[in-house]
Amino acid sequence: MSYDIDIKKVRRNCYRQSKVRGEFMLQIRVPGGVIDAKYLSFFQHIAETWGNGEFHLGVKQTISIPGIKYEYIDEVNKYIRPYIEEIEVNLCGVDMVVDDDGYPTIGARNIMACIGNRHCIKANIDTTDLARKIEKIIFPSDYHIKLNISGCPNDCAKAHVSDIGIIGITKTEYDYERCIGCKKCVEACAHHATRVLSVEKGKIVKDTCCCVGCGECVLVCPTGAWTRNPKKFYRVLIGGRTGKQTPRMGKIFLNWVTEDVVLGVLKNWETFSAYVMNNKPEYIHGGHLIDRVGYNKFKEMILKDVKLNPEAMVAQRVLWTETEYRSNFNVKPVTQR
Amino acid sequence: MSYCVSIKRMNEILKELQKEYKVYAPMRFEKRGRYSDTDLIRYAEINSIEDVVYDEKSDFSPKEVIYPITQALFYFTEYEYMESKVDDKKIMIFVRPCDINGFRRLDTIFLKNGGTEDIYYKRLREKVKFILMECKEGGWDSCFCVSMGSNKTDDYSLAVRFGDDNILVEIKDDEFTNLFADEREVEFTPEFVTSNPTKVNIPEIDSHELLEKIYDLDMWESYNSRCISCGACTAVCITCSCFTTLDVTYTENGKVGERRRVQASCMHEDFTTMAGGLSFRKTAGERMRFRTLHKIYDYKLRFKDEHMCVGCGRCDERCPELISFPATINRLYDEVEKLKKAETTKDIR
Repeated sequence: MSYDIDIKKVRRNCYRQSKVRGEFMLQIRVPGGVIDAKYLSFFQHIAETWGNGEFHLGVKQTISIPGIKYEYIDEVNKYIRPYIEEIEVNLCGVDMVVDDDGYPTIGARNIMACIGNRHCIKANIDTTDLARKIEKIIFPSDYHIKLNISGCPNDCAKAHVSDIGIIGITKTEYDYERCIGCKKCVEACAHHATRVLSVEKGKIVKDTCCCVGCGECVLVCPTGAWTRNPKKFYRVLIGGRTGKQTPRMGKIFLNWVTEDVVLGVLKNWETFSAYVMNNKPEYIHGGHLIDRVGYNKFKEMILKDVKLNPEAMVAQRVLWTETEYRSNFNVKPVTQR
Repeated sequence: MSYCVSIKRMNEILKELQKEYKVYAPMRFEKRGRYSDTDLIRYAEINSIEDVVYDEKSDFSPKEVIYPITQALFYFTEYEYMESKVDDKKIMIFVRPCDINGFRRLDTIFLKNGGTEDIYYKRLREKVKFILMECKEGGWDSCFCVSMGSNKTDDYSLAVRFGDDNILVEIKDDEFTNLFADEREVEFTPEFVTSNPTKVNIPEIDSHELLEKIYDLDMWESYNSRCISCGACTAVCITCSCFTTLDVTYTENGKVGERRRVQASCMHEDFTTMAGGLSFRKTAGERMRFRTLHKIYDYKLRFKDEHMCVGCGRCDERCPELISFPATINRLYDEVEKLKKAETTKDIR
């Protein structure tokens, strides 16, 4: 069969081109990766009615339904209207008009998150709640952003390889009187984290500088001498990416910042992206945008009107470590950017 | 005599009491629990009657009020020493029946063991009066006080039943009668839990031969992989009383310091480590065996009247590896029954 399809228009609509001509895979957003189980039958209906009967757990936590023929896209878009309304507008409070045309853009990708402290014993934050708050800020935007949220520095949600990575951390507090000097926290820190604890005169001493804020000391403390400061803190990583050319780990941009700071930073993302790309959204990883204008310009723009909390720490500079598949990859002729 | 007291009046009475007493109760420490966004309930001095968490089981026991986790015994310089002091005020503690029965065990350990009274325990213990808090019907999931016979007590000064607007108070100690003179008299005596969902059977260990066989049971080895030897169980236990003593010199002047005692745990790897490195209980299973037998065998063997464990179930609730102490006791009971049966069969043959 002959098709005449504007692939880019369809992709913007969250349908990905298949190797089978005329077939597409719909990527349904699940911000933070958690929604009511009742939607399973909804996905099943799409897969069995218009798709090939299968679904893929998308690597960015979308529910992806392959094998949808181009001619069914209008029908599918009508069918997913209430879902978009319920998830995006009602659940996340996204400011958007929902119509029969499906998702308005694929720019800001689905927000990925681990299960967080709704379930996990290690987590320091409610990742689902944060993902929904962030969805309201970044969606719908044609400017590309990949954003991963992890509940603790274990980073199961791979904040280290996303444009913006957010990790829930905890400022642990020590009650000298309750401590029995059993060294369980010292062992846990050395085993799981950064070896910042040691025993001195029967009590614990901490090298606060290198504490990653994981909370392992709290988990293992038998007497409740270590507790979390009830205030939530976050580490923000930037510029991580996967890819064929220069994959790299994200680096610390902010440490010990509050949720207000995280949300404030994300509110500036679109403006920053638009500035770098002269108001023409392209599919480019955030790290490349930072590279183009330099970290200092990024920092200036992304922290505009953001009031940093007193505990906050900001990176003075970023030393990227890229995987260079070819050495001197970054050394290019003057004719290339 | 019993009274119905409004919350407002109870707070006024509390203020009056606090002139002479430090008043402790289980208090909620928001988001201070082991896991993120969970609370911790432990004993602390209350400011108002609303601070008392009466409808949940506290994570930690009230023992730390009179047996502090860290306690300076005396301070020393090069030439002199000075004994530590305690606050002049007397102490009132809101407690459960199992805890009052638990304090009797602590009294036995600290005051009636080996012919010497522990003055550091005694000087705080003497100041204490109990305010009994009723438990909810059946207690909480992990309670097994009825099996341990520690569900009832009459050793209290006041007993309370919390309601939404009023508190019912029974006064057994005449010292407090005047405080309640203006309150409305009612019929009230506290009700005790008479049956728990969790029940345990205590194995009867009647011979040394049987005890030796119990030492070698396979069941203990299962705890080598399950137990992480963190000591959370002993930290929350109302009857665990082990401590270690150490001399600490101050950083600014190494010739001055203090001798202090700090609570210790038989579940920790180094609990039995001696000078030279000898250690008696090397595995988590061996330490679990020690703790189990200590709570439901050794103590009674030595002091006769009762087992050490009061069945408060805090160790069960607090274990991060979901090891249940009542389940352990019942497992041991089953194993002991098997051993006894095998012995009987052998006799017949």
